[in-house]
Amino acid sequence: MSKKKRVTGLIIWLGIVLALLVCGLLTGTPAAKQESIKEVMRDAVLHESNKISLFGILDVNPALVSALTVTAVVLLIAACIRIFIIPRFQYVPGKFQLLLEQMVGFFDNLAKTNSPHRNGFLGAYVFAAGVYIFIGTLFELFGLQGVTTKGMSIALPAPLSDINAAISLGCLSYLVILSGGIVGNGFRGVGSTLKDFSLPISMSFRLFGALLSGLLVTELVYYYIHLSFVLPVLVGIMFTLLHALIQTYVLTMLTALFYGEVSEPHKKK
Amino acid sequence: MGIPLNIDWQQILLHLFNFAILAGGLYFLLYKPVKNFMEQRIAYYQGMEQEAAAKIEQANAQELEYRQRLESAEQEANRKKEQAARDAEKTAQMILRDANKQREQILAQAKKDAQHEKEKILQDAKEEIVELAMAATVKMLHGEAVSHE
Repeated sequence: MSKKKRVTGLIIWLGIVLALLVCGLLTGTPAAKQESIKEVMRDAVLHESNKISLFGILDVNPALVSALTVTAVVLLIAACIRIFIIPRFQYVPGKFQLLLEQMVGFFDNLAKTNSPHRNGFLGAYVFAAGVYIFIGTLFELFGLQGVTTKGMSIALPAPLSDINAAISLGCLSYLVILSGGIVGNGFRGVGSTLKDFSLPISMSFRLFGALLSGLLVTELVYYYIHLSFVLPVLVGIMFTLLHALIQTYVLTMLTALFYGEVSEPHKKK
Repeated sequence: MGIPLNIDWQQILLHLFNFAILAGGLYFLLYKPVKNFMEQRIAYYQGMEQEAAAKIEQANAQELEYRQRLESAEQEANRKKEQAARDAEKTAQMILRDANKQREQILAQAKKDAQHEKEKILQDAKEEIVELAMAATVKMLHGEAVSHE
């Protein structure tokens, strides 16, 4: 028997085994759900019932635990990179160095192109916000489990799928824009920033809506076992990746754009 | 009445606190060192570029200088050649003039010598004639004496 025939036979056998496994699972009776789909969806939006105890100090939404976890992991990775990788940087970069430089260069250029007059602080801010949104959104893919105060196990959601996290980032971005206006143009900068008073609301709810919709679709898909095969590859991974990229770009780009607009020195006529 | 959508100010502040830590950490651990390195590399390559540009400029200046030197050397050579030609012409004319002068002197001397020789020959001839005449006279006189005797 030639090698090609053996490989073909192996693939067919694996295919049959997988098909039988899927059929077996699909025909079985699903276990009884602890919560209805309505409750799951409602809780994903409002976080009324499922709370997690934060070090026994206070009960918080699961997204806050996600946010703290993301921060801890990101800072740990950043510290490792700072200690072990950055000192070995070469003038002709390797693949990982190139990736880091691309990340930093992307946000730095975003700040420089949108706000040519004043961009030092803006570059650092959009970098941090971009990394937070991107990694925070991808965080839901890992499906880390947390135990609620009621003793139930829940998958930790993306931090920004919580309205409180979205409001904090949206308002902070607005404050950053306002600070750019004050530093760049003084009272006139404050005026031009306050003119866009709807910005913190639109920024917050844009983030919240985008991340929450992803969360709800994922919750819906995983709630029913029949939808839990193949489909999660599309909705769980590709959509998450896609909206992680889009939301990162949108918030950082909008912040940089408005910051550049309000910090631009006023020309006397 | 609670805030709609279960908005909680305490959790908003906790999220802000969390993000502030993340932003500060990322700035000091990643953003600043990587940006510094990139700027350092840009400065390094700009320095190399400037150095190369300075060397090219220096080479161009040297080429120009050598070209100018070459041109001035050619001009100097031409000038010297012309000077040498003029000097040769002058020397030739001087030699010619001297030769002419010498020729004239030689001719004058030759004429003078010839004249002198001519006069001497004439003088000698005269003297010889006188002698011959005297000899003939003596001889004649001697013959007459002999015949008288």
